[in-house]
Amino acid sequence: MAKIDLEKIILVIFIIAMFYLGPGILFGHKIKHDFPFGYFASDAFQHQVRAEAIKDAGNFKYEAEYISLGIENSEGRHPPVIYHLAIILSYASGIEVYDSIYFMTAFFAIIAALIMYLIIRNFSKTVALLSLPLSMLIFSFPVSLGYLYGHWPSLLAQSFLILFFWSIMKADLDKSFILVGILLSATALTHTSSTIFAVIFLAIFFGMKLLVKKLNIKDLKNIALSLIVFLVVSFYYLVIFMNTWYKAQPYSFWAMPVWEGNPGFYIAGFGLLLIPMIFGIIFSFSKIKDLYVPFILAYTMLIAGFLNYAGFDVRSFQVRFFWPIYFSIFFGFGIYVFFKFIIKKWNFVYTSIIVLILLIFISGIIKLPILKQTDNQVIPSIPYINRGTNQGVMNQLHWEALKWLSENTEKDAKIYFFYGDIYTQDALLRNSKRVHYQVNPDDFIKALQDREIKRSYISELPGDSGGSIVARTGFFSFEDSTKDKPIEYFFGPKDICNFNYLVFDKVSGQEVLAKYNILIAQELLKKDFINPVFENDFIVILKNNNLGADCIEERSF
Amino acid sequence: MKKEVFDFTEIENFRDTKNPEGFFCVIKKEFVYIGILFLIALIIFKIAFYKESFFVLLRNVLALFWLFVLPGYFIMLYWKEKLEFIERFIIGIGLSAAIIGISSYYIGLIGLNIKFHTIVLPLILILVGIIMSLRRK
Repeated sequence: MAKIDLEKIILVIFIIAMFYLGPGILFGHKIKHDFPFGYFASDAFQHQVRAEAIKDAGNFKYEAEYISLGIENSEGRHPPVIYHLAIILSYASGIEVYDSIYFMTAFFAIIAALIMYLIIRNFSKTVALLSLPLSMLIFSFPVSLGYLYGHWPSLLAQSFLILFFWSIMKADLDKSFILVGILLSATALTHTSSTIFAVIFLAIFFGMKLLVKKLNIKDLKNIALSLIVFLVVSFYYLVIFMNTWYKAQPYSFWAMPVWEGNPGFYIAGFGLLLIPMIFGIIFSFSKIKDLYVPFILAYTMLIAGFLNYAGFDVRSFQVRFFWPIYFSIFFGFGIYVFFKFIIKKWNFVYTSIIVLILLIFISGIIKLPILKQTDNQVIPSIPYINRGTNQGVMNQLHWEALKWLSENTEKDAKIYFFYGDIYTQDALLRNSKRVHYQVNPDDFIKALQDREIKRSYISELPGDSGGSIVARTGFFSFEDSTKDKPIEYFFGPKDICNFNYLVFDKVSGQEVLAKYNILIAQELLKKDFINPVFENDFIVILKNNNLGADCIEERSF
Repeated sequence: MKKEVFDFTEIENFRDTKNPEGFFCVIKKEFVYIGILFLIALIIFKIAFYKESFFVLLRNVLALFWLFVLPGYFIMLYWKEKLEFIERFIIGIGLSAAIIGISSYYIGLIGLNIKFHTIVLPLILILVGIIMSLRRK
């Protein structure tokens, strides 16, 4: 009886630690924020804005024009599940979509860690408990970049992937093919490329079954029925996927050893924890013939995490965000085997003590000294969770301005953003919910260096063209919506007098850039048809009431 | 003889609250667990998000239970003989998210605005779960 209670107590402690150190820290120990909190990259805003747009439209038939480069009626092509779940949670909980989409991703990662626990528990309860602490590293740096940089669809899809692994483990359940089919669809409709890893797992699992002569007709029938369910459920979206993402970004074999622009996670990042993990891997070989799902899924995702050397590029690096969960079996099993050499008669209390010690170390409460491996590479002794909160790219004053634009400007208004420090993460500008251009920083700085005020600046039309922007002309036919647009439409000189609203940042890390912004704004205000319509300590927004008229005097200063 | 679409004798069996395997008896017992887990979830949320107001947290936990826990629980009842409560509880959360996410996409495309999905989809899943369990021999 006491044994069972201890298991539950450990689980509760683990869940508290996960929530506190995971979403708790990520969100500054609040659920509801005044602006997108903890967003560190454009991708995070990209997903947040799309969810907002779907909420406004009521469905995901079309991508909003302010997302798709000002093009109307372009087919919604991104895997939709994460956006729909975020919106539904937003309605139910009363929190904004920018909070719900982020929270949900972290929440289901914790659920995935618990599902992995259940999968390992099917092998051994002791090993399952010993495996738990490693999962906490999904919230450690640099693994946590998956959250901070907005790789949310991949993270949520991997949560469904772990659930899919569970459903394969429970294939003997009555009508399990429905579960398998639905969960495979969930990965496809959340982050389609993650489905490939499910297929690799199935190939390895059933290949091994065949090798050990345990594959039977029932298995084949079950998997065939699962695939039928998968195709029925996913067919509509897969047609869109095949005509957008698959065509625009086809598979090609190439090696991508390093994830440029991202401090990706590498196997050495586990530091000293690799020792029990390697132990676990070595001793797991003897279990292969028994077809234990936790080991097979861990091998699969180990391979999947290195497919960046075989054309899977970013997708493989994204798999690594969940390595701490996938590899927890190696970790737990390694520790168990190690201690079994020392302790002959295992007691559940030993398990509890070891789990608590590991939780303490991985939570970063006690830090071991850093071990220098070489002059240019440092391996941390034990990785642990970074316990600092950061609000990220967005701030209250920029958010106020973006909200103002979305709520107070005409639906067809065109917005022009002059230089802003945070505008390099351009997806955040889509929160204006209007078609917008932004000044090219190089041209802006050149004009400043030349001491010129210009009417026309090199400008960019920021937007999302990933997977290609297409219009649906039939159930199976799609047409590129951008093909008739000249290149200057997307990037080139733009007359600022042709925009309804002009947005200027008054504050910058480089004061001179902000001063130049203010100078241009003051020059514009000399015209009586241009008025300030919004202002706070960071931003001023001007409205041009005479579109196309000579709005600024070009001059030197 | 053609089988009735709905076999009421099966429901009668499940209604038998004295039968520990009966549908309503299982629900009655397991709803106590769900109630306890709700309180534990609320406490965990209060610890993790200690700067947040209690009512925001309460509404969030209620939302998670309404959207994911309850629909998942009722769907997973179909496998109650094979899986213990805690396994059904955890798996149900993920399964419910998968079904609600997918069906919300398609129902939205059919024309039902997403703002109604919050109420409609969990209700449908709960009903489907109950019917599946009742019809299971």
